Amino acid sequence: MARPVKLGWGVRREGRSGIWTRNAVRGVSVRGERRKQDSRIEWRAWDPNRSKVAAALLRTNNDPSDLLPEPGSTCLYLGASYGGTVSFVHDLACGSGNHLKGQIIAVEIAPRAMRELAALASQRPGLVPVLGDARLPHTVSPYIRGKADWIHQDLSMADQAETFVKMAGAFLKPGGTGLLSLKAASERSSDGDDDTRFAKAERILGESELEVVERIELAHHHQEQHVVFHVRQTAESG
Amino acid sequence: MRIHFDWRLARVIDSDGNVIDELVWSGKRSVGALADRLAKLQSGRLSPEARVLAERFSEAEPNHLGAMSDPDWPEPDGDEQALLAEATDRLARRGVADAAGDLDRRLDMLSSAASELRASWTTSEARCVEWAGLFLSEADLDAQRRDIPAAVAEADSIDGAAAALGISAPDHQPSPSEWDALRSHATGVVELTGRLDAAEVATRELARGYVPSLSLLLGPLGAAKLVVLARGRERLARMPSGSLQVLGASGAMAAHRRGAPPPKHSPVLFSLPQVSKSPRWVRGKIARFIAGKCSIAVRVDHFAGEPWDEERIAEINRKVDAIKARFPKPPKRG
Repeated sequence: MARPVKLGWGVRREGRSGIWTRNAVRGVSVRGERRKQDSRIEWRAWDPNRSKVAAALLRTNNDPSDLLPEPGSTCLYLGASYGGTVSFVHDLACGSGNHLKGQIIAVEIAPRAMRELAALASQRPGLVPVLGDARLPHTVSPYIRGKADWIHQDLSMADQAETFVKMAGAFLKPGGTGLLSLKAASERSSDGDDDTRFAKAERILGESELEVVERIELAHHHQEQHVVFHVRQTAESG
Repeated sequence: MRIHFDWRLARVIDSDGNVIDELVWSGKRSVGALADRLAKLQSGRLSPEARVLAERFSEAEPNHLGAMSDPDWPEPDGDEQALLAEATDRLARRGVADAAGDLDRRLDMLSSAASELRASWTTSEARCVEWAGLFLSEADLDAQRRDIPAAVAEADSIDGAAAALGISAPDHQPSPSEWDALRSHATGVVELTGRLDAAEVATRELARGYVPSLSLLLGPLGAAKLVVLARGRERLARMPSGSLQVLGASGAMAAHRRGAPPPKHSPVLFSLPQVSKSPRWVRGKIARFIAGKCSIAVRVDHFAGEPWDEERIAEINRKVDAIKARFPKPPKRG
């Protein structure tokens, strides 16, 4: 078997498409993923076909560790859904019992998804479930302690790029990492075909104070047309 | 001057960063009280302390993002962090529970259950009638249709079912296991009829209360379907009538985007006799007219207008007849 490649604290790649994180809740799979024991550490498989962040780690041309939050960082996850990807971010930023002292603000608007997310949060200290509209800064501001080091936005609605610029502008630290998952099908059909819509999003990001580091295409891993934009906050303070 | 605040305290800060005034939440700090406080902050309102300071310093600008990047802002202590975590969890669970108070979600469940039951009832009932009818060759499958499932379900043999329907016993008998299957299928149809009825009665009742004018215009089941398709009464009320006209015709709209002609109406509007019983060359005109009236009706319902009465509906139907009278013949193909 190929030697695992370390991508950062508590995350490694094995072979071509296996990504594993150090499980913060031993013995528990969040959505039925595989787990395995390696000496005293339990690792949890992060499926790139189900998580856009995991797919981006495999598809990026840069150092994959640039895409991930540092241990103990403040993370903002907009559009947390049922919390699958959130749980892996939690593995990295908070760890078991939040010994890394991170915080993840996970915003989701659907009560059905929040039900699962709240259950996940009660197992994982440091994860803050917020039921509300992820497009509004005051949904996040009562919960977040200091600005965020890492933001991921994964909303399926129109004007995702504008929302991302607004939210990253309000909450992302200078030098902080932002990931914008973009699904072409969510944007208005009047905006043209998939490529036109991605180009429009790229232009909006380019005109903001965010620096677009890379545009990562997720072909192969996801059915619909997806890209992830990796950006860095360049503004000094917001 | 600015006002920075979070759930614990509020401060007035001048342009040099000096703290001019400070108020700390001095009430009893319980999980429930904090959850209420967070809900208010989350909806964009000021904390009570920030509001007092805003009154005290009218020129100070409250900034709900200020505390986050204020380098002098006090760190929360362990107790405060634990309280916040507990209150956040409480608030999330409260929000999940409150979803049941949302009539849009309740109508969605009822109306979807009713349409799914209707779909499976149609299939099962037709199979039951055809199946029993194969043996009961003398039964009138139109006039006695409603009685057949019950007659089969309550009989202990095919002869008994024939007797209940007042016809002579069939020449060919089903095998015992075949009869068991036929009878339990018929029992299922009888039971399904009851379930469908219960779901439709409840849907009608909810729709008549929630969208009274639209229910009068479209019938309560059609009105419920439109609200569900629009994902909520408010969204339906804010929707342009051109979108309402084709709501539910998503396949046809997708084809239209690729160049096909636009759909004239959705299945919901087509189910109205005013549309489906009209000649095809006026259906689009009538659907457009009725969609306009639906838009007005749901706005009346959502924005607390005076609900429509039968007189208003009669007037709309007269106008529909006038449209039909204006176009008695199909347009000439040029």
